[in-house]
Amino acid sequence: MDNLGIFLQILFWGLYAGCIYILLATGLNLIFGVMKIVNFAHGEFLMIGAYITATVFFLTGINPYLIILVSMLALIGIGAVVERLCFRPILGTGKLNEIFLSIGLIYIFQNGAAMIWGDSWQSVRSPYDGITVPLGPLSVPLDYIIIVALTAMILIALYLFLKKTKTGMEMRATSQNRKGAMLVGIDVERIDVISFGLGCALAAAAGTLWVVSGQVFNPYIGSMPAVKAFTIIILGGLGSIPGAIIGGLLMGIAENGAAFLLGGIWKDAVSFIILIVVLVIRPTGLFGEKGD
Amino acid sequence: MNFGRDKLTKYGLAATLVIAAALPFLSDNMFLLNLLVLMLISIIFASAWNLLAFTGQGSLGHAAFFGIGAYAATLIAVRCGIPPFVTIFLGAAVAAFIGILIGLTCVRLKEWFLAMVTFGFAIIVQTLTVSVLAPVTGGWDGIASPRLISPSIPGYQFIEYYVVLVITIASLAAIWYIMKSRIGLAFLAIRENELEARAAGVDPVRYRLLAFAMSAYLAGVAGALQIYHIGYLTPDLYGVNNSFWPITYVILGGLGTIAGPVIGTIVLTIIWEGLKETGLTFGRYVIVGFILILTIIFLPKGLVNLPERVQVWWKERGRKGSGARPQRSVWWFF
Repeated sequence: MDNLGIFLQILFWGLYAGCIYILLATGLNLIFGVMKIVNFAHGEFLMIGAYITATVFFLTGINPYLIILVSMLALIGIGAVVERLCFRPILGTGKLNEIFLSIGLIYIFQNGAAMIWGDSWQSVRSPYDGITVPLGPLSVPLDYIIIVALTAMILIALYLFLKKTKTGMEMRATSQNRKGAMLVGIDVERIDVISFGLGCALAAAAGTLWVVSGQVFNPYIGSMPAVKAFTIIILGGLGSIPGAIIGGLLMGIAENGAAFLLGGIWKDAVSFIILIVVLVIRPTGLFGEKGD
Repeated sequence: MNFGRDKLTKYGLAATLVIAAALPFLSDNMFLLNLLVLMLISIIFASAWNLLAFTGQGSLGHAAFFGIGAYAATLIAVRCGIPPFVTIFLGAAVAAFIGILIGLTCVRLKEWFLAMVTFGFAIIVQTLTVSVLAPVTGGWDGIASPRLISPSIPGYQFIEYYVVLVITIASLAAIWYIMKSRIGLAFLAIRENELEARAAGVDPVRYRLLAFAMSAYLAGVAGALQIYHIGYLTPDLYGVNNSFWPITYVILGGLGTIAGPVIGTIVLTIIWEGLKETGLTFGRYVIVGFILILTIIFLPKGLVNLPERVQVWWKERGRKGSGARPQRSVWWFF
C-alpha cells in the first residue's frame, strides 16, 4: 500500500513535470518539422514566458492561469522576430551554424533577462495554493490537475489548428515537402515565421505553468528543460508530435523515479544516460528514419 | 599573389611570436600577466575544440575534457607526488582516454545528436564528480591543487607565462603538423563528404575517434594548466559556460582554420576585459551573444576571412546592383 502510494505519487509528479517537457518538445518538433532547424535556445523562451507571466501577475494580480494568453502572445512576437533576424539568414548554411547561433541566443536571452529582472530566485504563489483534491489513495494539489488539463487543452487546440485551418494545412504541407509547398503557392517563409512563433508560444505556455506551479525561477532555468526536450524528441522521433507527447510523459516519470531512488542530484544526469544508451543502440533515435 | 600572402603569413607569425615573448617585459603589471596566461590557456582550449570541428563534429561539452584533465592531473599529482610538469600530460592522457570512450558513442551520430550527447556528457561527469566521486574530488567544495611553479620561486609568474607560452606554441605547431599530414586531409575529407571519403579509402570512424582523442587530450592539457595556474579546482569547471567559450572564440576567429582560435581568443579577450571597465556584468554576455550571432550571419568564416572580404568589397564598391527591387507586401519584414 505504502509502496503503491509512493509509486502513484512519483507517477503524478512525472505527469506534471512531463507537461512542461511535452509543451517544449512539441514546440521544437513543430519548428523542426517545418524549418528543419534545431534551436538549442528554445528553453530561453520558456524562461522569458515565465518572467512575463510573473511580471504581469505582480503588476495586476489577476489569476496567473489567465496570463498564459498574454505570455503566449508576447512570445509569438519575440519568436517571429528571432526567426526573421537570426535563423532566416542562416537557413540552409549548415546544421552546425544553427547550434552556434543558438548559443549566441542563449547568451543574449539569459543575460538580458538578468539585466531586466535580476538573477535571484523568484516565485509566484498560485491562488489555489494549498488546495488538494483526493484522488484515490493520494491527495493531489489542485494546481497539478489544472496544469495537466491546461496542457491537454493547448495540445488539442494545436491539433485542431493544424488539421482544420488553412494556415495549419499550409504548415503541414511545408513540413511534408518544402519545395512542393512552394510550387503550390504557399509562402513558406511566412509559414516559417508562424511555426517558429507558435513553437515559442508553446514554450511560453510551459514557462507559465512552471511559474504557477510554485516552482522557483531565475534567468537560467531554461537550458535544462530545453535540453531534455531535445532528448525527448530525439527518442520520440524528430518531427513526430505524438512521439513528443509520449516521450515527455516517460521522461517526467523516469526523472522523478530516478530522483526518488538515487537522490535529487541525479535528476539531470539520468535523462542523458538514457539518451546516450539509446543512441549507442540506435544512432538515429528510437523512431528516427534509418540512415541518411 | 600566393607568394605574397605566404610571406605575409610568415612575417605575421614571426611578429606574433616576438610580441608574445616580449610582452612580460613591456609591463610588470601582474594582473596583465595573469590575464595573458589565462588567454594562452584559452587558445589551447579553443584550438582543441577546433581540432574536433575539423572533422565536422561540433561538441557542446568540451568542458568535460577540460575538467577531466584538470581533475586527473591534480589527483595524480596530489596522490602520487608526481611533479605537476609531468601530470599535465598524464591528466590529459586520462581525458583523451575518456574522449575515445565518448567518441565511440558519437562517431555514428549526426550534428544535433552529437551536440546533445557531448552536452549531456559534461553534465553526467559533473554529477559523478559531486556524488559518487565526492570523497576523492571534494564534491562541490573542490580541492586545492599544486602550482605549476612554486610561488616561493622569485618571478614565478614569468616562468609560468613562458612555460604556458611554449606549451601553447607546441600545441598549435602539433595541430598545424597534423592538419598538413594525411590525417588532416582525411579529417577534411570526412567533413566535406563522408561517403566520398569512404569511397577513397578513409575510414571515418577511425579518424573521428582519432580527432576525439587528440581534441580531448589538448583540452585536458588546457584544463590542467588552468588549474595549476589558479591553484584550486571546483566542479564549476564542467559548467556550460566553459563549454561555450571555446566555441565563441573559434566562431569569431574562423572555424576550421589554425589561426582562427588564436585570433578569436585574443580579440574576444580584449573586448571582454575592455567591457569590464564599463562596469557591465550581464551586459558583457549579451554583447558576446550579439558578436557571435553577427559573426555567424555576416562573417561566416570569421575574422580570419575579414581581409579577403574587405578586398572583395573594395573591388566591387564602384558597381551598383541593377537587379529589380523585390516586391513588398504587408509581410515584407517577415
